[in-house]
Formats: sequence, C-alpha cells, structure tokens
Amino acid sequence: MAKPLEVLLLDDEPIVGRRLRPALDKIGCCVEVFEDPEKAVARIDEKEFDIVVTDIRMEGLDGLQVMAHVQKTWPRTKVIMITGYAKIDLAREAMGKGVFDFIAKPFRPDDLRKIIYKAAEALGIPMESSSSGSGPGPVEH
Amino acid sequence: MSIIIISADTGEIEEIIAQKVAETMGFTTLDHHILAEVASAHGIDPDQLDEALKTTPSLFKKMTAKQWRYALSCLEAEVLDRLLKDNIVCHGVAAHLYVTGVSHAMKVRILKGKNRVIKEIVQHRGLSLEKTERCCAAELEQRKKWSMAAYGFDETDLSQYDLVINLDQIDPEEAVRTIAGAAEYRKFQVMTYSMKCLSDLALAARVNTVLLDSMTDINVQSHDGSVVVTAKASNRQKRERIALIKEMAGKVDGVRYVEVHVK
Repeated sequence: MAKPLEVLLLDDEPIVGRRLRPALDKIGCCVEVFEDPEKAVARIDEKEFDIVVTDIRMEGLDGLQVMAHVQKTWPRTKVIMITGYAKIDLAREAMGKGVFDFIAKPFRPDDLRKIIYKAAEALGIPMESSSSGSGPGPVEH
Repeated sequence: MSIIIISADTGEIEEIIAQKVAETMGFTTLDHHILAEVASAHGIDPDQLDEALKTTPSLFKKMTAKQWRYALSCLEAEVLDRLLKDNIVCHGVAAHLYVTGVSHAMKVRILKGKNRVIKEIVQHRGLSLEKTERCCAAELEQRKKWSMAAYGFDETDLSQYDLVINLDQIDPEEAVRTIAGAAEYRKFQVMTYSMKCLSDLALAARVNTVLLDSMTDINVQSHDGSVVVTAKASNRQKRERIALIKEMAGKVDGVRYVEVHVK
C-alpha cells in the first residue's frame, strides 16, 4: 500500500477544515488541521509534510509568511494557497514567491483534490486515482 | 505555460515582435487571421469586423452601434475561447483590453520611439519622415479613442501593461529576448485561480454574444458557471425580458445558473 500523503491544512475558519478534511481523507491523505497559524508553524517545525494548504489572510502570521517558513524549513514541501480575497496582484505575488498553486474561495472540494493530485505527481508520490493525471471528475453543487 | 499579449504603437511593429516572440518560445500566434473565421461563424461581413476593430460607429457610418458592439463581442468570445489553450502570443485582436485579471496573461506594450524604428516604418510605408510621424500620431490618437469607446480603457495608458519596451532604447531583437525572458517568470505561469478567471471571462463573453444578437445594453459577469446579467427594460417589458435572458443564457454551454437584474 502506498504511503499516505501528509497534508497540513491551515485556515482560521473552522468550517474550511471541517469540510476539506473528509474530502482529502477520502483520497488517502493523512490530514492535520490547524486554525491558528502559530500552532501550525510549530507543528511544521516538528514534522515534514508533503503538502501545506494554507489560507492567506489570518490573524498573526499570514499565508505568505507561513509559506516562507515552510520553504526555509522543508524546501521539498509543496504549498497551496486558498483565499477569499484573490486578486491578480496577490496571485502573482504568491506565485512569484514559489507557491505550488493558488485557488480562490469559494471552491469545491474536488477543485482542491485535483491540485493535491498534481502536487503528489510533482513530488513523485503515486496516488491511486491520479494515475491518469487528471484526477476525479467534476463534482456538482 | 503562459499567454503573452502584445500591443504596440503601430501594427507593423506589433506583428514583427509578436511573430519573433512566438518563434523564440515555440508558442502559437493568435492574431487578425481569426477575423475571417469569426465573421463566418457569426454571419458578419469580414470587412465590417475588421472595420469594427479600427473605428467607432460614430466614425464609421455604415455600422450601427449595435452591429459594432455585436461584432466586437463575437471576436472577444472567440479569442477568449482560444486563449484557454495557453502558450499563445496574441496581438491585433484587442485582447489587451478585455483579458483582465488573468495573472498568467502577460501584457506587453511596445513603444516605437522617435529615432531608430520610425525610419523603418518610413521605408515600409513609403512616406516622408514628417508624414509618417503625423500618420503614426493620428493612428495612436484614434486607437486611444477607440479603446475608450470599446472597452473603457485607454490603450496608451502604460500603467495597464506588465512590461513596456521603448524601441529607441532596446532594439527589436533584445525586445524579443526580454519578453521571452519575462514570460518565464513564475508569476506569469498558469495556476488554478488564473485559469478560472479566464474561463469565467470566456463564458461571460459567450453569453454576451448570444444576448447581443438581439439586445443592447447588456452586462454579463460569470463565476464558476453562474452568470449574472444586467439589462435595461421598461417596467412593462421587465418580466418578459428577464424570462428571455434566462432562456437564452441558460442554453449556452457551461452555464449552470442565470441571475438577471433589469434596471
């Protein structure tokens, strides 16, 4: 059996973690959810995650600062940003600083799953449903 | 993986630079060659479509404002649809004015300058230096007016572009290398968000085209298959207009929900 993909999910809105954790569990990810960026960063110091999914706007540390910390600590880790305040400037800034992908809220869990499959492929970690490279089909509202 | 949209002070420069950038990067070009296809697909006279890209209805009396708006909308929808394919150098179809908010679309403006390149234009057009300069200035002024009328942007406003190159200072070969190099920056690469922005623009343009075929004063916004249409109608026609828009927009491929606001 393939090693599960280790994912840290950080968003200060509890609903995001509650909604996304089962969606990622379902595709074989091992997910740790955080609402406090300081606690997430402390956990990142202890453990190398394959993927960090982080909100951008949060109290205390913002997503770009979290990404800088991840890049310094674990350069191999892929960072995916999710935000409700997406604009072209922010998207370009995040991309320029090395984010793996950037997605605007609201999105469907399947949208994130597709990005997770792409990140797993880039990491060379095989995932069963990503063998075709396209991930699962669209999920209706 | 990105889109490069090139706009220049003159069409000659635009075409030369765009083709060289496409060759250098192995990208395909998207330019005025699609006009004939767009015209044929939408039953528009190709010359009228070409004219719609150059003049406003007040200057071109043979085309009404409604026809002008419809012709531009058909072109916009087709260009946006093709841009979804990526790795494209686009010029000559006004894309710099309607591809907005898409982070992987790098917009470049080429300034002809006053010395080096103008001499080549003089040769190309077979006019005197003075006459060529006058023509270029008039063309620039006309483009400015046209862009304001068509899309509410002044295309000569350099703050709209990601990269501005003055050919007095950078020669065309260097300009091509500069553009190709900048297009490789991570910030201009495709991401899920930017593809979504482009898909939303493309869907809104398709709906707009369908509605403009029989209506005027329409504004269409799209987000993830949901479309919001703003239209004008008298109180008496309001209900009918809403129903008609919902029916027409609902038939467009990719539309899942239609909301209509009639003022």
